[in-house]
Amino acid sequence: MGKISYQKLAVLVADDFSSFRSTVNSMLMNLGVADVDTASTGEEVIEKCDLKRYDVVLCDYDLGPGRNGQHVLEELRHRKTLAITSIFIMVSAEASRNIVMSAYDCEPDDYLMKPITGMMLEQRMARLLKQKSVLRPVYVALASGDVESAMDQLIDLSLAEDRYSVAAQKLLGQLFIQQGELQKAEKLYTRALEVRQVDWARLGLAYVKQLKGELQTAGEWLEQIVEENPLYLPAYDVLADNWDKRGDRAAMQATIERAVDVSPMSILRQKRLATIANDNEDALTAVEALRRTIKLGKLSVYGSPEDSFELARTVSNAREKRLELPPGAATEAMQELASVAQAYPLSDEEKSQMNLLQGRMFANEGKIGMARESLRNAQHDFYSDELNIDVDVDRVTLLLSLGESDEADELLKFLQKKYADDQDALEKLDKFLTEPASEINKELVASVNREGIDLYSVGDFDRALACFEKARKLFPKHVGIQLNIVQSLIGKMKEDPDGDDLQEQCLSTLNLVDGLIDKHHPQFGRFARLRRRAEVFLR
Amino acid sequence: MSDDQEPIDFSLVIASSVHDMKNSIGMLLASLEGVMQDMPAANKTQEKHFNTLHYEASRINSELIQLLTIYRMYNKFLPVQIDEHYVVDVLEDQIARNHMLMETGGIQLTFNCDENLHWYYDDDLIGSVVHNILVNCIRYTKTAIVMSAEKEGDLLCFTIADDGPGYPESMLENPADLVEEAQVSKGNTHLGLYFASRIAAMHKQKNRHGYIKLENGGPLGGGVFKLYVP
Repeated sequence: MGKISYQKLAVLVADDFSSFRSTVNSMLMNLGVADVDTASTGEEVIEKCDLKRYDVVLCDYDLGPGRNGQHVLEELRHRKTLAITSIFIMVSAEASRNIVMSAYDCEPDDYLMKPITGMMLEQRMARLLKQKSVLRPVYVALASGDVESAMDQLIDLSLAEDRYSVAAQKLLGQLFIQQGELQKAEKLYTRALEVRQVDWARLGLAYVKQLKGELQTAGEWLEQIVEENPLYLPAYDVLADNWDKRGDRAAMQATIERAVDVSPMSILRQKRLATIANDNEDALTAVEALRRTIKLGKLSVYGSPEDSFELARTVSNAREKRLELPPGAATEAMQELASVAQAYPLSDEEKSQMNLLQGRMFANEGKIGMARESLRNAQHDFYSDELNIDVDVDRVTLLLSLGESDEADELLKFLQKKYADDQDALEKLDKFLTEPASEINKELVASVNREGIDLYSVGDFDRALACFEKARKLFPKHVGIQLNIVQSLIGKMKEDPDGDDLQEQCLSTLNLVDGLIDKHHPQFGRFARLRRRAEVFLR
Repeated sequence: MSDDQEPIDFSLVIASSVHDMKNSIGMLLASLEGVMQDMPAANKTQEKHFNTLHYEASRINSELIQLLTIYRMYNKFLPVQIDEHYVVDVLEDQIARNHMLMETGGIQLTFNCDENLHWYYDDDLIGSVVHNILVNCIRYTKTAIVMSAEKEGDLLCFTIADDGPGYPESMLENPADLVEEAQVSKGNTHLGLYFASRIAAMHKQKNRHGYIKLENGGPLGGGVFKLYVP
């Protein structure tokens, strides 16, 4: 190992116990480190790192009340406060590194178990500084956007067969994938696996397969990895994507739930769980995940007012759709909305959202006067040019909760023009519209309809219905889909006039469409015809 | 409060209490090392007291860590995370962790390992085995310890040898058997060896499992502990 010049290093030591800070301080002085700063809380570490570039941060995991070492690392990484060549070492009394590291989102450069000695510190710092200096040119190239040069250097490093080659291979594999060089990535992982079945290469290979569209194979491999190593969190994340791509939203949720069990402190996974549970109309799970998100968010850089907003939306949505909610969820959501302004500085848009969501909660409780009051408090002119689709969506939803469907329709028409050039925004409006406004959803509806119609025409009414039902979930107001459902139900009733719920389903869908269109609607003729055909079966 | 509430899971209570104890011992050790550095022993008696304090605290510390690891093993929450590591690192780590103990005990350590030797294992788990055995050797050796690692066929072999009295005859036959439950219940725990053999066995490659072996004699004429990792 090359000589390390300790005199030039700037080191920050963080621990809530002063005895530990001074012990480590004197160990560092003995090594010749002259520039040592100390911190006793998480906030202090972040402040000091903002002001000065440290080569090494030695941070205890347990920093007393408030933020712990992981929160600190998360924030430093998120805000890119640490230099690419800086080293963050987590110190902890926890016996198993795996347990400390896997419970969160961020990995430190290394982990030291207490009690630590001067010699341990010296060895570890020397090893890590050497590794950083070997990989430094790669990181510099990446920071300047020169991926080509970074990959060239990594290829040399990964072939060197020394102690840095595995680190180089891991990084190179990620870069290959990022650059779309799937063949090269596959070769790299396959070669690594010829020597030993290491998890990082197994995951890499499964990921490559997944990107190539071999979803089934990739899924099986990923299942096997988490089976054998339940703490290997990145594998769950890729597996969740796999189920997502295969369209199995239930399995996707189950996978994220498993990951959350292993890493309950990971706020990003809690958020992902809330999103998928909401898609699956599983309000129980969504509320639980959002509760934990809000709690973790108090100390995490990833916490945001949106977490409390999402809880309110989940609760309101569940009440309107009559989904099961955990006891006390409504009260809790109301309290979170009321206190969000104390927890975070709110922008004007966020203040509007808070009012709109409070209004929706009131509307659901029949407190119409208070709901209107909140709507007024949301201030902003509805027809303003300011672009914030999320505020606009909350506005539409509140109008609908208040039963103001004409006003909501007016607003929706205006919004379609306002966001005419913003496909992402149009996608968010589609669920309120009778025809999707965004290109991607127009295509989706068209393809689902084609598939359903093909199935219908060969008499496979059950699968046709499943297909249309899936589309109806995404676009509950789409008239064409609703009428296709009616038509498929008529097909089924012809075969089996007394089939389970068929009449009821048919009637409720017809009533829904009746509420959506009038006789000037282009689909009114078709609607009237289908209603007549259906009446034969409806008694 | 009703009568039919869930009974307390006693092993969980013990585990969390062990966790607390371990943290306390960690603090105690760090403070003790600070004291020993700031105020070196003034005479032989003080030095002996320091050594005893330090050794016994280290031993409690490593026993508690072992207990926690075994608890996790029983609850199937101890996955092995195999990756490539440089063997010299894991040995140097444990020497660094215990060097003060050896220095104050006047123990001569010899260390042989090829700088470029690398292998596949869970360095956290293998590190804790080496640590336990090393602490034990420091207790039983007279003047010297030899630590080494080398390839033996398709196995990696860690060796820790001392010039102490060696392992009792009964232990040499089959060290893993010593820790069958019957033995443990007789108070004859050999927990460290049980721990080592379990961790060794958790490392497998193409149907081969790791194992441990005890011998007497060796380079220093005392006890020899060998850990084989496939």
